[in-house]
Amino acid sequence: MSAAVERLRVSVEVGAALNLVGALVKYLSLAFLFPTALALGYSESPWPFVAAGVITAAFGYGLERMTRGKERVGIREGFLVVALTWVLGAAVISLPYLLSDEDQLSHPVDAYFEAMSGMTTTGASVLTDLPAVSRSLLMWRQFSQWLGGMGIIVLALAVLPRLRVGGRQLMESELPGPELDALAVSIRDTARRLWLLYVALTAVLILILAGLGWSGVDDRMGLYESVAYAFTTLPTGGFGTEPTSAEPFAPASQWVLALFMTIAGANFALLYRALPRRRPSALVRDEEFRLYLGLLLAGSLLLAVILWDAGLQTGESAFRTGAFQAVSIMTTTGYASTDFAAWVAIVPAAAMVLVALMFPGGSAGSTGGSIKVVRHLVIGKVLRRELDQTLHPEYVAPIRINRFTVDERTVRAVIAFVLLYVGLFVGGSVLLLLDAHRVGLELSPFDAIAASATTLGNVGPGFGFAGPMGSFAPFSDVSKVIMAVLMWAGRLEIVPVVALLTRSYWRA
Amino acid sequence: MKIVVLGAGQVGTTIVEALHSDHELTVVDLDAARLQVLGYRYDVRSVAGNGATRRVLQEAGIEQADLMIACTSRDEINLVAATLVKKLSAALTIVRTSNPEYLEAWHERQIEVDFMVSSELEAAHAVSRTIGVPAAKQTDIFAEGQVQIVEFDVPVGGDGSTAPYRELVGLPLKDATIPKDSKVAAIIRADSMLVPRGEQAITPGDRIIVIGSPAAAREWGRIMAREQRSVDDVVIFGAGATGLAIAQVLLDEQHIRVRVVEPREDRAREVAEQLPEARVYCASGIDSEFIERERIGHARAAVFAMREDAKNLYAALLAKVHGIGFTIGIVHEPFSVAVFERAGIDVAVNPRSVTAEEIVRFAHDPRIRQLAMLEGDRYEVLDITVRESSRLVGTPFKELPMTGSLIGAIVRDGSAIFPHGEDQLEPGDRAIIFTESRRVAEVEKAL
Repeated sequence: MSAAVERLRVSVEVGAALNLVGALVKYLSLAFLFPTALALGYSESPWPFVAAGVITAAFGYGLERMTRGKERVGIREGFLVVALTWVLGAAVISLPYLLSDEDQLSHPVDAYFEAMSGMTTTGASVLTDLPAVSRSLLMWRQFSQWLGGMGIIVLALAVLPRLRVGGRQLMESELPGPELDALAVSIRDTARRLWLLYVALTAVLILILAGLGWSGVDDRMGLYESVAYAFTTLPTGGFGTEPTSAEPFAPASQWVLALFMTIAGANFALLYRALPRRRPSALVRDEEFRLYLGLLLAGSLLLAVILWDAGLQTGESAFRTGAFQAVSIMTTTGYASTDFAAWVAIVPAAAMVLVALMFPGGSAGSTGGSIKVVRHLVIGKVLRRELDQTLHPEYVAPIRINRFTVDERTVRAVIAFVLLYVGLFVGGSVLLLLDAHRVGLELSPFDAIAASATTLGNVGPGFGFAGPMGSFAPFSDVSKVIMAVLMWAGRLEIVPVVALLTRSYWRA
Repeated sequence: MKIVVLGAGQVGTTIVEALHSDHELTVVDLDAARLQVLGYRYDVRSVAGNGATRRVLQEAGIEQADLMIACTSRDEINLVAATLVKKLSAALTIVRTSNPEYLEAWHERQIEVDFMVSSELEAAHAVSRTIGVPAAKQTDIFAEGQVQIVEFDVPVGGDGSTAPYRELVGLPLKDATIPKDSKVAAIIRADSMLVPRGEQAITPGDRIIVIGSPAAAREWGRIMAREQRSVDDVVIFGAGATGLAIAQVLLDEQHIRVRVVEPREDRAREVAEQLPEARVYCASGIDSEFIERERIGHARAAVFAMREDAKNLYAALLAKVHGIGFTIGIVHEPFSVAVFERAGIDVAVNPRSVTAEEIVRFAHDPRIRQLAMLEGDRYEVLDITVRESSRLVGTPFKELPMTGSLIGAIVRDGSAIFPHGEDQLEPGDRAIIFTESRRVAEVEKAL
C-alpha cells in the first residue's frame, strides 16, 4: 500500500509551474495586437487575431486562477515552465491559422507544425502557395519567429516584475549556449539589454532594406518585405513572404541579409559589448567568434569553388550564392538565394556541405540554433587533450576558452549534449524514413537525414520536396509531429525536454 | 636603533643574528621556550605574548622603537601588528607575507607598511637568478637589478673546456679575457681570500666572486658551465606556494619552458588553471617511471620545492640519476644547505634565510641601501652613497688602495658604470662595494 503511494508521489510542484505558464500565456495575448492592427490597415479580417487573443488571454488567466496560491517556482519547476511555455506558445501561435479561412493551414497538425516552426525560428513550412495567404496572416507568421528568436521568457524577464526570483535558471534554459554571460548585475537588466539590442538591430535592418527598395536598387523590396524579412533575419528564422525565399531580391539586398544573418548568429552578449559599448576588439579576442567567422568563411569559399567549378555560377554570383547559402544554413536561418535542393543531382558535394553546415550552428547566446560553435570548440580542445593524455597520462590540462577555465562539469555537460543531439538526429532520421515507408511517401535517406537535421537544428529547409522552394506538406501527420518535437527539443537545447522524461526529475 | 622583532622562528633568529651587535633588539614570540634559547645566545630582550595585541607591543616598548619587523609565519598577525604599530608609534614597519596578493596591494600603496617581503617570492627570485646564470652558487642583485654579484665554483677536471674557458682560467687576470662589464671581486682558495691583482690567476677548484652587469653575469655562467646553451626548460617538483611562485617568476622573467609536477590532484588542477603557459603533471617526484617516460632527465634544470627536505634531496638525486645536469633544492632547515651541497645538489635555497637577508638589507643604515652576505657572513656587499668629504673622491681607480675591499660598480645618475683604471669617484655616486665583513666600518668611514 505504502509502496503504491510512494510511486504516485510527484515531487515537482506542477501547480506552481502551471501558474507561471498561465501568466506567461496570458501576456502572450498582447502579441495579437500587431496583426490585428495590420489586418485593419490592409482591410483584411481582423477577427482571427481578435478571437485568438481573447482565447489566449482567457486560457492563460484561467490557468493562473486554477493554480492560485502556488507561485513558488524552483529549479525543477523551471524546466517544466520552459518546456510547457513553448508547447503552449506554439498552440497559441497556431490559433489564427486555424481560425482564418486559410485552407492550407486548416488541419490542426499543419497549423501546429507551422506555428512550432515559427516560434522555434526553424522556418520549415507546410505552405505550398504563399501568394494565396493573406498579408496579415503572412506577417503574423514572420512575427512569430521574431518573438521566438530572443525568447518569450527572456522578454517576460525583461518586463514582468513577477520573474525577478529564479529568473536566471529560466533564462539559461531558454537562451542558447552552455552558460549565460551576464551583461549586468541583475538578470532582469541583462534580459532588457539583450532585447533592446535585438530590437535595435531589427530596426536598423528594416531601415537598410527599405532604403534599398526606396532608392530603386531593389524594386522587389517594399516596406512590407523589409519588415517581414527583418523579422525573420535577426531571429535566424527563415520564413519568407516570397515563394522563392530570398531569390527575387537584388544582390545588394542579399549581401545585406547575409551580413545580418552573420550578426544574428553571433553571441548577443558579445555584440552588446562590441557595439553599444564601442569595444570591437572584444569580437576579435573571442575564441568562439573567431571560429564562427572562420567556419562561415570556409563554408562560403568551399561552396563558391564547387559552384564555379561545376559551371553553375561564376564571378560575384558564385561568391554571393556560396556566402549566402553557407551563412543562411550555418546560422540556422534557412533562406535560399537559389533552389539548392536541385544541387543534389548536379553538385552533390555542395548539397553535402550544406547538410554538414547544419551542425555547427550559431554562437552561444545568439538566436541561432543547432549545436553551437562554442561546444565544438570545447570538444575540439577535449579531443586534443585526450590525445595528449594518452602519451602523457599525468598531464593536467584544464580546458580554457578565452583564457577562462571551463570546469569539468561543464565539459561533461557539453559532451553529453552533443551525444544527445546526435542521438536525436539519428533517431529522427530513422523514424522519418520508417514513417515515410509506412505511408508510401518517396523519401530518400539523404532527404530524411536533411529533414531531421534541419528541424532539430532549427534551420528550416531540407532537400527533396522539402527544399527551400518546396514544402513539408507531403510528410504524414506523424512525421510532422515528430519534426515538431525535434524543433521544440532543438530550440530548448534538449536538456529541459529530455530531463522531463527521466524518473529522477519527477521523484524526490 | 631600537628594533622590535615579532617572531623568533628561523627568519626572526637570522635577523637577530645579523642585527644584535649593532642594535637594541626586543623579540616577541608566543613561545617562551624559543625566546629563552634566543636569549642565551644573543643579548636581546624578550617578551612572551601575542604580538598582534596592543598590550604586548607596548610591553615590548614599541613607543620608543625605530623599527618593527613582523616576521611570524602568519600573514594576518604580521599585518595586524603593523597596523597597530602605525598608530602606537613612529616606528617603520617591515612585514613578512606569504601571499603575493598582499604584496601586490602593498606595491600599489593600499597596505600601509614601509616594507613587505614574501618568502616565496624571494625564494623564487633567488632561483630565477641562479637559473639565469648557470653554474652560479649564489647570486644577488643590486642597484635595481643593474648590478649582479655571483659566486662560482670553478670546475675541476673534465675536458669539455670551451675556448672562452681556456682564455679565462689559468691565465694571469691581466691577460685573461674577462667578460665585458664585469670584475673578479675575490678568489677564495683553500679557505682564504686572495685579492685579485693583475698577476693573480683563476685556477680550477677556486671559488670566485664576480661583480658585473646581468649580461656579463650570464656570460660568466656560460663559461663556468663550460657549455654554450643556457637553461631553456625547467621542471619544478612540488607546486606549493613556493613552487607556484617559482614557476610564475620563471615564466615572467626568463621566458623559458616550465613543467610542474605535483602529486595532489586538486592542487595540480588549481596550479594548471593559474599557469596557462606551464605544463602541469599530477605525479610524484620520486616516481622513477614517470620521470623516465616524460624525459624529465632531458630538462636543463630542476627545482625541488616539496615540503620535506629529505624528500627534496631524494628526488633531486633521483633526477641526477636520470641525467638532469643542474638541480636546485628548496630547503627548510638551516642545516640542510650544507647537506644538500655535500650530496651534490648544485644550489640550495633557503626561503627563510633569503627573506631574513632581505629584511636585514632594509633594516641597515639608510645610507647603506642594501647589503648581502656571502660565504656565510665572511664577506659583505655594501651599497653606499659617496659623501662629498670622502678622501677617495677624485682619485683614479687604479690608484685606489687594494685592501681586501673592491668597488665593483658605481651607479651615477641612475645607471650603472663598471669602472676602469682611469675612472674617478664623484660625490653622490652609489658605490657597490665588495668587502670582508671585518672591514665594513673602515669602508664606511673612507667613503
